[in-house]
Amino acid sequence: MPACRRFYLLITLGFLFCGLKISAQSSKRISQQFENLPFSVFAEKVETITGCRFYFKPGELDSFSVTVKAEDITLPDLLTKVFANTTFVFSIDQENNVFINTKFTVQTTLPKDFFNTNKTTADTSAIIKQPFFEQTDDRKKIVAQENKLYEIGVKQNNAGKERAIIAGYIRDGKSGESFTGAMVYTDTPYVAVVTDQFGYYSIALPKGRHILQVNSIGMKIARRRVMLYSDGTLNIDLQDSVPSLKNVTIISEKKSNIRGLQMGAERLTIKTIKQVPVVFGEADILKVLLTLPGVTSVGEASNGFNVRGGSTDQNLILFSDATIYNPSHLFGFFSAFNPEVVKGFDLYKSAIPEKYGGRLSSVLDVSMRDGNSKKVSGTGGIGLLTSKFTIEGPLKKDKTSFIVGGRTTYSNWLLKQIPKSDYSKSKADFNDLNLRISHTINNKNSLYLTGYISNDNFKLNTDTLYKYGNRNINIKWKHLFNNKFYGVAIAGWDHYQYDISSDENPVNAYNLKSSISQGSFRTEFNYSPDNKHALSFGLNSIYYKIKPGSFTPKGQQSLVTPDILQDEQALETALYLGDQYTINSKFSVNAGLRYSLYNYLGPHDVYSYVNGLPRDKTTLTDTTSYSRNKIIKTYHGPEYRFVARYVLPNEGSVKLSFNSLWQYIHMLSNTASISPSDIWKLSDAAIKPQRGYQVSLGYYKNFRSNTIEASLEIYYKKLKNYLDYKSGAVLLLNHHIETDIINTRGKAYGVELSVKKKSGKATGWFSYTYSKTLLQLDDPIAGQSINNGKFYPANFDKPHNANFVANYQFSHRFTTSLNFVYSTGRPITLPIAIFYLGGSQRVYYSERNEYRVPDYIRADFSFTLEGNHKTKKLTHNSWSFGVYNMLARQNPYSIYFVQESGIIKGYQLSVFGTAIPFINYNFRF
Amino acid sequence: MKKILQISSVLLFSLLWLIACKKPYDPPEIKIATNFLVVDGNITCGTNAVTTITLSRTTKLGDSLLFNPELNALLYIEEEQGNVFPISEQGNGVYRSQPLNLDPARKYRLKITTPGNKNYVSDFVTAKTSPAIDSLTWKQDGDVTVSVHTHDPLNNTRYYRWEFAETWTYASLFHAEWIVKDGWIYVHDSINQIDSCWRTANSNNIVVGSSIALSEDVISDFPVAVIPQHHEKIGKRYSILVKQYGLTEEAFRYLQLIKKNTEQLGTLFDAQPSQLKGNIQSADDPNEPVIGFISASTVTEKRIFIQHDQLTNWIPVYSIETCGNPIIIDQNRTDYRIWDYPDPDYTILYYIMGGTMAIIKKPCIDCRARGGVNVKPSFW
Repeated sequence: MPACRRFYLLITLGFLFCGLKISAQSSKRISQQFENLPFSVFAEKVETITGCRFYFKPGELDSFSVTVKAEDITLPDLLTKVFANTTFVFSIDQENNVFINTKFTVQTTLPKDFFNTNKTTADTSAIIKQPFFEQTDDRKKIVAQENKLYEIGVKQNNAGKERAIIAGYIRDGKSGESFTGAMVYTDTPYVAVVTDQFGYYSIALPKGRHILQVNSIGMKIARRRVMLYSDGTLNIDLQDSVPSLKNVTIISEKKSNIRGLQMGAERLTIKTIKQVPVVFGEADILKVLLTLPGVTSVGEASNGFNVRGGSTDQNLILFSDATIYNPSHLFGFFSAFNPEVVKGFDLYKSAIPEKYGGRLSSVLDVSMRDGNSKKVSGTGGIGLLTSKFTIEGPLKKDKTSFIVGGRTTYSNWLLKQIPKSDYSKSKADFNDLNLRISHTINNKNSLYLTGYISNDNFKLNTDTLYKYGNRNINIKWKHLFNNKFYGVAIAGWDHYQYDISSDENPVNAYNLKSSISQGSFRTEFNYSPDNKHALSFGLNSIYYKIKPGSFTPKGQQSLVTPDILQDEQALETALYLGDQYTINSKFSVNAGLRYSLYNYLGPHDVYSYVNGLPRDKTTLTDTTSYSRNKIIKTYHGPEYRFVARYVLPNEGSVKLSFNSLWQYIHMLSNTASISPSDIWKLSDAAIKPQRGYQVSLGYYKNFRSNTIEASLEIYYKKLKNYLDYKSGAVLLLNHHIETDIINTRGKAYGVELSVKKKSGKATGWFSYTYSKTLLQLDDPIAGQSINNGKFYPANFDKPHNANFVANYQFSHRFTTSLNFVYSTGRPITLPIAIFYLGGSQRVYYSERNEYRVPDYIRADFSFTLEGNHKTKKLTHNSWSFGVYNMLARQNPYSIYFVQESGIIKGYQLSVFGTAIPFINYNFRF
Repeated sequence: MKKILQISSVLLFSLLWLIACKKPYDPPEIKIATNFLVVDGNITCGTNAVTTITLSRTTKLGDSLLFNPELNALLYIEEEQGNVFPISEQGNGVYRSQPLNLDPARKYRLKITTPGNKNYVSDFVTAKTSPAIDSLTWKQDGDVTVSVHTHDPLNNTRYYRWEFAETWTYASLFHAEWIVKDGWIYVHDSINQIDSCWRTANSNNIVVGSSIALSEDVISDFPVAVIPQHHEKIGKRYSILVKQYGLTEEAFRYLQLIKKNTEQLGTLFDAQPSQLKGNIQSADDPNEPVIGFISASTVTEKRIFIQHDQLTNWIPVYSIETCGNPIIIDQNRTDYRIWDYPDPDYTILYYIMGGTMAIIKKPCIDCRARGGVNVKPSFW
């Protein structure tokens, strides 16, 4: 470890330079008043008076101030007075050199933590008093850190009942990456906090000695002995859990499941995500998400997901604070999130924190890794369809780091190699690029810049080319006011667009485009005056701009008549305030209020219809034009968030939550077929915002010393103003979309059972969900009845869902994984008869969503072979092999009917109708 | 390398799902033969008005049977006051009343008893009065569009339905000197002619419109029929008869639904279909679906003509297969007047000296083979 040695020398030199040279008599008497002097000044004065020479480590004593009155006393007496009730000791040699040191502490091993000692002192105020010994062994270093006493704050003689706050970052010792959701706690008294998105924690403890423990999944539990004098900082680096240990017990998140206030929340780290086998071997956040309780999708390879009976547009998908409108590549074959840059995700299903809003069902917060702040490294992967490459490293060590990740497909090239010309006109590719730069300005300020671009192109043996893409950029500034109070400001721009074009026939060649953009500004403040209260408040503001659709000619010869829908714009602003109140160690509540205000803005034409009659072209009476930024319609209302947790005597806990939310933006999507284009619609004069209410109750219990985590949650939801479509609704390029939309009210209820085992050789989870979503026409002017005004199942109503994910580690290098999925088939409206009326053959349909497509059943298997574990290899590589859909079941994705030579025929489309083997090669350096 | 590519091909085959795993879908719900009653028609009020109702049964999906008539049913119109008016069977599912004088100020309903002794009854419907059609106009913009203009000075009608019948005349490609009738060959004359025919086709779209958004009940320039450019319908002379009915709002919505449900099947951006709920119920089983919505209305009508020479850039395209060259047949005929050529698709073109004759495919010389009749309609 040459780097370490160099560092050691540097420090030693620093130490020597700080020594002050002086010579005098120790017997000299001192009479002086020292009032609140920094120790170095004090030392200087004493040196002048006595001619002695102080040797001390400035880092240890720079926060130690001296207030003492000397009345004709000797230097040893003075110093005894000064260091009374502290952990410092001094010794004076014959040459009048004064060495300030720490009290001797009993240690069974030698403390050897050069590297870390330096780090901690460099960017924290913790004072570490250890003799310096060079140490090359990591494990010993950890032991040393754990046995060392970290002194926090300004030394005062008042260790007692008063509380002080320790705050800091929890990071990965290797890469410097911060840990979100790590649990920081002390056992006596039991006080626990969880790190935020930056890996930042703040814990209030009585002054005095404590053992601070930090748990984060996949990492070794870190312990720090601290002596708390006053508010101070302590950054803690975690080490990878070493898999060779026989029993690695990871209890952090287990306990947090019971102790935490999160409810209906799921957190998975990228490590766990990567263990689940997925098609084409590419770790896929959305696919893993779908194995969690309460999360379903309409079909395989479809865009988006449904949470607890919500529609796909009711999920707020954040990728490092950027709103992602289309989270899928290639119709959902791949997710938009490059696994190499993802740190993990949080999914909130019921107790949605008040800082989030604007969607009814859930918040999926995917966080991005910070680049390695210590050294440049990279990862790469080569699959049959995609390749990816990520590089990261410091731009300035420990200050600024970057990470850039990209993925691309070479499927076009492969398509061309297929001898049969069936695919010669086909095209399917995507690429995406992520960038994140993290910069620490100083202890109090950090900046984060995140960018994301994705592009999709496909053409499925037709002349129609589909393109879509996300564009996101944001900048985030975090400022620590003090240990109790910090704020975050984020400004960002998010964009999604699609473009469908056809140019086979030059006369009919067209471009069909649509896009949504939003500019957002958010502030978030967190204030934790003590361990009992954690306040959060802030302001969110989003400006939307939607181009609903434009149909334009492509090329000179095209005779297509342009058809362009008017742009839509709106401003959504929300203020929120929440308090997490820990009443005692058993009972805590979190209550939040969010008030949202929505303005639909001009320029836009608004159509009026005959009052009390169905909106229709035949009832259209008038058009009013609104000018730019004129408020056309305003909606506003409060949203309530409440969650309470009570720990039962048997160590289980019960949680109850209530939520109310407003959603001002709607996705128009006709799930009766495969639509590559989703149109977003803002609430306007005719289309009211959707509203949702949810109550849920859960019971959580861990077994076998927290290795098995079980939970049972029930929920009941009500929806208002949920959009459904009239029969024969046309969504594309519709200038009067309000004429094809009806309001429904909905209810959803269900039970979620989940059992997880996150440690040991065998890990995995099982989840079962029963959920129903029913809609009912709630529109006096619909002009048509759906199922006689009775409740009918929503398109995504799939009552039974079971998922089983199991991983087994045979050896350090060989891991297998099994995944099993079952769900009820989704509802479908079937044509059930043909009749002849008005001179034509016509189709008679069943009641809406009366029937169901066949059940969905799938099993996947994979195994991963790691390269050898020599640490000094240039690259580390791994191979993964697997089979997706082992049972080769033809799960129907879509069912459609076409008229073929006058006869109506039904077809079932399976996306992966056969077992699909895959192989992937990954490397990192 | 070749091997790897082959594996990749297999994978891509799955990726290209549109081509990949497509298989027929016919669940039991679709395979069962549905047999719902379908009622199509209008109770026609007014002086000497004939009510025509068509009864049929639904067929199952994938059936090639286009029309499944309901025969031997008993139908009658019932007035709210109790009077009944029978509608008698005409064959092929068509039932027609005598000329009646139903008062448009009253309410009527339709009662049906099927041969299975099942009873169906519609709701009582308020009769609507259709105002006179002010005019039919047409304009050419490539295609020819025929539009209707009407207005109700009482502002009562508001919802309209139009049906139309198109009639056009056309000529054979070859002039006929002879015609074949009952196996004998006759000289062509003005009665037994096959040079000129008149063909009539009924509307096969549901055409409904409304003036509800207007302050007055005026329908102006509402397109009823479109004749695609170069269509043979206006090869010579064309006529359209438009019949206008008044509708209740419910009937209007019902017809709109039918339109939307079926005229957009199988496109990429499919519309959400929904079940039809008409105003006819089974008296025995209220849950039995019955398709159709009975309205009562007076009917008004108007006819216009369009001449080919009124159009610009209209080169009629005839849907006749290639005639090819005439075939010369040389039979040892006993009697030149007897037609005994075995292929019914052929007919005589002309005689050749010496008893030989030239024959040709029927549609080339006999206009009746193209769907028309050789008798001039009375209105022509």
